[in-house]
Amino acid sequence: MLRESDIDAPSLPALLPYCLPTQSQTHALFHLALPPSLSKNGLVTLRTLRTGFRYELTPTLPSYIVDDGLQRAGIMFNISSFVQKAQSAAQQLIDPMQGLNLTNSDRNPSKASLFQSQFRLPSSQTPLFEIPAELTIPPSNVTHGGKDHDRGWHYAGRLHLSESYICFSTTTSSFAHTASTSTSSAFAGQTHGAGPSGNGFTFPLSAIRRVERLNSQNFQFSLAITTWNGIAQDQAKDKAALKERKDFREQRITIQLAGSRQACERFCDGLKKGLRGAVGNVGKLKRIIAECYSEYLLRPEEKKNAASPDAGLGVIFKYPGDPKKLRDRAKMRLWAEYLRDNGRNATLIRQPTFHKLIRVGLPNRLRGEMWELTSGSFYLRLENPTLYTDTLDKFLGQESLAIDEIEKDLNRSLPEYPGFQSQDGINRLRRVLTAYSWINPDVGYCQAMNIVVAALLIYMSEAQAFFILSAICDRLAPGYYSSTMYGTLLDQKVFESLVEKTMPILWEHLVKSDVQLSVVSLPWFLSLYINSMPLVFAFRVLDVFFVEGPKVLFQVGLAILRINGEELLDAADDGAFISVLKSYFSRLDESAHPKSENPKLRAINRFQELMVVAFKEFSAITHGTIQDLRLKNKDAVLNNIENFAKRTAIRNLGPDSKVLSPEELVSLYDRFYGVLYERQQRDHIIQEEQRRRAKASKTRASEAFTEHHDHGVEKGRVGLGPSTSLMDYDAFREFLASVSKWAISDAPPPSPRRDPSDRNSYFGSFRRSDVNLLSPWGSGPEPADHEFMQRLFRKWDVTNSSSLTLQNVVTGLAQIKGGRDIMGTITYFFELYDDDEDGKVDREGILRVSEALLFLSRRGLEGALSNSNSTTMLNGMTEADSGSLSPPVGGTVNERFLGSVSAFIRRCFEYADPDNLGTRDEAEQMTRPDAPIMSKEDPSIDSGAFAIGDDEDEEDEEDMLAFDSPSSQPNAQAKRLDLDLESVPPAMGKPAENVGRRAVSKAQSEKANVALDPSNPLHITLPTFRMVVLADELLEQFFESSFPTSLHITHGLPNTAGQSSSLTTFSSLNFSRPATLSPSGAQPGLAGAGRGLRGVLDNIVTDASRVAAEVRRRMEEAQRELEKNALPGQRDEDEEDEEDLQGPVKSTGAYGGDAERRSVRSSDRDLLDGADAGAGVTKEADGSSQSLLDTNSEQEGRVDRVNSATQRIVEFES
Amino acid sequence: MADSNAPKPSSSVKLVLLGEAAVGKSSLVLRFVNNDFQENKEPTIGAAFLTQKCNLPSRTIKFEIWDTAGQERFASLAPMYYRNAQAALVVYDLTKPTSLVKARHWVAELQRQASPGIVIALVGNKLDLTNDGEPGRGDGDSEGVEGEDSGDARKVSTEEAKSYAEEENLLFFETSAKTGYNVTDVFTAIANAIPETSLKSTRGPGASNAVSRGGEEQRVNLNGPREAAKEGCAC
Repeated sequence: MLRESDIDAPSLPALLPYCLPTQSQTHALFHLALPPSLSKNGLVTLRTLRTGFRYELTPTLPSYIVDDGLQRAGIMFNISSFVQKAQSAAQQLIDPMQGLNLTNSDRNPSKASLFQSQFRLPSSQTPLFEIPAELTIPPSNVTHGGKDHDRGWHYAGRLHLSESYICFSTTTSSFAHTASTSTSSAFAGQTHGAGPSGNGFTFPLSAIRRVERLNSQNFQFSLAITTWNGIAQDQAKDKAALKERKDFREQRITIQLAGSRQACERFCDGLKKGLRGAVGNVGKLKRIIAECYSEYLLRPEEKKNAASPDAGLGVIFKYPGDPKKLRDRAKMRLWAEYLRDNGRNATLIRQPTFHKLIRVGLPNRLRGEMWELTSGSFYLRLENPTLYTDTLDKFLGQESLAIDEIEKDLNRSLPEYPGFQSQDGINRLRRVLTAYSWINPDVGYCQAMNIVVAALLIYMSEAQAFFILSAICDRLAPGYYSSTMYGTLLDQKVFESLVEKTMPILWEHLVKSDVQLSVVSLPWFLSLYINSMPLVFAFRVLDVFFVEGPKVLFQVGLAILRINGEELLDAADDGAFISVLKSYFSRLDESAHPKSENPKLRAINRFQELMVVAFKEFSAITHGTIQDLRLKNKDAVLNNIENFAKRTAIRNLGPDSKVLSPEELVSLYDRFYGVLYERQQRDHIIQEEQRRRAKASKTRASEAFTEHHDHGVEKGRVGLGPSTSLMDYDAFREFLASVSKWAISDAPPPSPRRDPSDRNSYFGSFRRSDVNLLSPWGSGPEPADHEFMQRLFRKWDVTNSSSLTLQNVVTGLAQIKGGRDIMGTITYFFELYDDDEDGKVDREGILRVSEALLFLSRRGLEGALSNSNSTTMLNGMTEADSGSLSPPVGGTVNERFLGSVSAFIRRCFEYADPDNLGTRDEAEQMTRPDAPIMSKEDPSIDSGAFAIGDDEDEEDEEDMLAFDSPSSQPNAQAKRLDLDLESVPPAMGKPAENVGRRAVSKAQSEKANVALDPSNPLHITLPTFRMVVLADELLEQFFESSFPTSLHITHGLPNTAGQSSSLTTFSSLNFSRPATLSPSGAQPGLAGAGRGLRGVLDNIVTDASRVAAEVRRRMEEAQRELEKNALPGQRDEDEEDEEDLQGPVKSTGAYGGDAERRSVRSSDRDLLDGADAGAGVTKEADGSSQSLLDTNSEQEGRVDRVNSATQRIVEFES
Repeated sequence: MADSNAPKPSSSVKLVLLGEAAVGKSSLVLRFVNNDFQENKEPTIGAAFLTQKCNLPSRTIKFEIWDTAGQERFASLAPMYYRNAQAALVVYDLTKPTSLVKARHWVAELQRQASPGIVIALVGNKLDLTNDGEPGRGDGDSEGVEGEDSGDARKVSTEEAKSYAEEENLLFFETSAKTGYNVTDVFTAIANAIPETSLKSTRGPGASNAVSRGGEEQRVNLNGPREAAKEGCAC
């Protein structure tokens, strides 16, 4: 073993000048030297190491720094982008899951997280290298100077290296990937606690000034580490003064590595790399250290008058308790000595005395700093020193629910402490709680945090309290303060099972008396005993808690019950139980053995007794015990919370929810949170994967330690406090895809997304750009992305927040499914497309509606679709296969629906009102029911748009005009509407009329085509829309049942597999371009013909007559025949039905065109033909209908077509 | 049992207080139990437990009061406290409409999840902040507060809350823990509303253990001053 004396003394001062920082970021020199056998001196001049890296002192320093600086810059850039990513996802400093280990991989938590919690390091640190080693701490030659006989202290243990820390611990835990879980989680140490309990150190690499390779006899690797201990006092940079100062001594320890040569070299390489990276952080470290009380405590003589750093409110308002009684001065002296010998703050070395000193209670002024160090929050602060003030600045003036809640409690946090009766104290409390609520919105603010923070602020600065709160919430009391408080509930269960195990008689008594233990113990844990015990004692518990972790809370709790066991056995109910403990806490300062003869025994107070019982009698309670029990109880606790949350959420849904059945609500709830949860899981995995990939490509050094990422994080699970209860648009799509088949994408592989800018900006704003990495949809089907879904989302998003709550979804679904009548659904649909809510849907909108209809029906229609005679006859018209009275299969209906949509478009345009009187509003139309007719006569209105009503049908026009007497206008209007609706029967079983009133004219088609002229803006109103819908039986059925039933809330989709095979409807429409239309500009229609579905639709109208002229001619003949026979008897029925329809239909617009009305049925087919023709689908000239209708008989052919259609739809969806 | 050696039968009733944070649940209890009021009361962590007696002409009711934390996230702990409760005080803040919404949620929760037959009182607190602050103090009549209308800070009208209470069959009071107005009346009304039968049967294990306790006095240290106080539940 190498001794201090072996090192060549003169060489130290020789090196010193080079080592002293000329700038704050002077790098830590890294001296590695091969042992030249010639020299007996341990320290050899600098030589190249096996890597060929040449380290010289000052002369080559600049170039080294430049090179390395560049390299580091690259690394830093990468790292910071990860960090940003990680922080944007959740701005947590420590992965909250690590503390609780509630992941699916509980039994095998990641080595990194075990490593982090062992050494209390931030989540940026991963175990890179580790090696068995022996630590030698030289005798403290300042205080015990000259004691040459003292060879110092030796500890065997393990040396660990992470990105920016080097840690040594006597606990033998290993975090190498080959290590078993038990060795990784085998926390031992003084009280078998996790955390930095063993002896050793946790040095930030930036705190290391120099590492030297020492010569040792047996050719082993031996490193001398010199730290920046006391760096804050070197500000003077006065080397001479430093040298003169006799009491100054560098902190220098030696470590002998006990691995194979290769392992040692690897470790040293890693260390070298790490040290180089840490160079830039020395300044940061210096700033942080300057705020440590220990620096002030150990300040040199010449700085006696320096201002003391902020050691909490206690400095101003006194610390709780009597300092004399607490023996504060004596404790302070002991600590000063310890810190002088063993390093302070960042360079502190833990030796057994350290743990003893903590057990007897920390001195007031040092308490904050030691809490910070032992809890590891010091390292969080070191990593991001300005986070606290930055956060406050960033959110200055912003409001939140958490802030409201905080305000309520500010005046009631430790109100008995004078500091919190002052505005200063209150303000500090407010700032810390507020800042934390911003960086951890998942937790926000939970009552009890105010008490904990208030207690912390007595001993530490705001920034210190802020970081330690983070360490508490994420690691030491994991989940305690989360929005569901799962951690609290879980630890209560754990505590109960520990009581059952360790004190079975008491437990039995509790059960028998029906006393719920947690009503007593819950506040203990939640407020970390702060408001259960007198403050002075609660702080003593905290002293140990921060070093040894959560198990301390259990040990103390068990000890309390044990000590009061006898009395508690007499307590028969909650009340008695509580009062026993209450009185116990109030007498903690009394002697535990007041009647003892032995004065020493008499001097032991009840609190001391409590500590002894807690840590002696319950020393078997280890971190591992707690983890195991947490794991065991986790599911039950989470399920309980989730059931409660679900019950509450469903009950608290508004009145809308009443129209849905309880089963529907339950499954709606499940689906809603299921989607959110799964998405978060996936996001997390994707993120991890990206990190891993990036990391792998970045560093080769860590190859030996391939990280094991657990993908079982349960972030977002309701029981853990859902990190969101808001559904964004993508989640909404996923949700829809789970309940309706139309919302499933047609594209088998993920397709490139369209440029969001191409879209409505509303949706562009929250679209994530890189969803294509890995599969963003998990195992579920990829949801479609159709304009209709965007509209639905926007409609449901009543608060315009780009996200939906469960309530929004329930309300939205209730509007569609909630036992609405058909009129309601039609209105709903109309409003969906009435963008500016002026009661008009323009040309663009009409096309969009029809697109939506096609979109919704492309996998077939659901619900009760009647196949009445009339329909059959219509379809069979050209086919003569009216024999298909036999129920047509879905395909047929669906294809007919396509025709219905075509007809819908055409009718919409035909009945639309011209728009060119911009000022004409709805009200005006009301008073002018005859507007369309007038438009025909009034040139100013008639701008060449299609007129309604046609010369062909003189009699019908006569009818209408007859109604037009001004005196009876309202009635007439209504009546006429009814007639309109009537004559295109929504009701079934009027084949005669349907067939009868059929007249098509070429002129009309042309007119309709004119309607597409973008220079003639037009719109339809709700009544028009209604009429047009009701004019078609299939459309009517669609709105009545098919659309509402297409959302399968309760059972989901029967089979999502083979979905694409049912894609029939589009097979006849050849999409040359993606069908989602871009609203390119305010000018409707400029996007015009020839583009996408628009083009197809235009062509439908254009070519309809030409293609099917022959068919139509024959049809007209037939119709005329039928009309003659059917008309007379028809009227009566019409009158009756009028009454029924009058109610819901409040007419405003005017409709004409009986002739057209009668002709629409037949033109359906024509349009369909036109579609095919226009889209250029190959087919026999007159066989198009055949090809559509005969799908049943040619399944094979259809499949082929479907395939091709599917491919086209890829574009459509994307 | 207790009723054999006492002139008046005595029984304990478990009562739970629920309501939004900072509506004054703890203050109501403090007023009822200690006849005291603290401006800055520490928020309740989990729940606080207190007891107080209420003397009815025919019997004595001893309330075992569970005062729960009001913050939303503590709601999932509530079942632990309202378990086996025979009475509940659902408190809202007269100056905060949202607190009544929360109160409705609690009522619904209790009606579905708590023991059947639980007596629920809806209590609007902080009457001192409204114009009806002190209408006929000591009236003792719960219906005393009728002329509400436009109190300074009042945001929840008496009618609204009252009609809701009637709808749901709840006792209804408006109180001020600060002045003490109506506070005792609430508890007295609850004591009267507890059905005789449930007094015998409920809290099975607890009731049978009453013997081992040998009377309640030992732990009711809070009772002392209150017993003598003039507003004792002398009905």
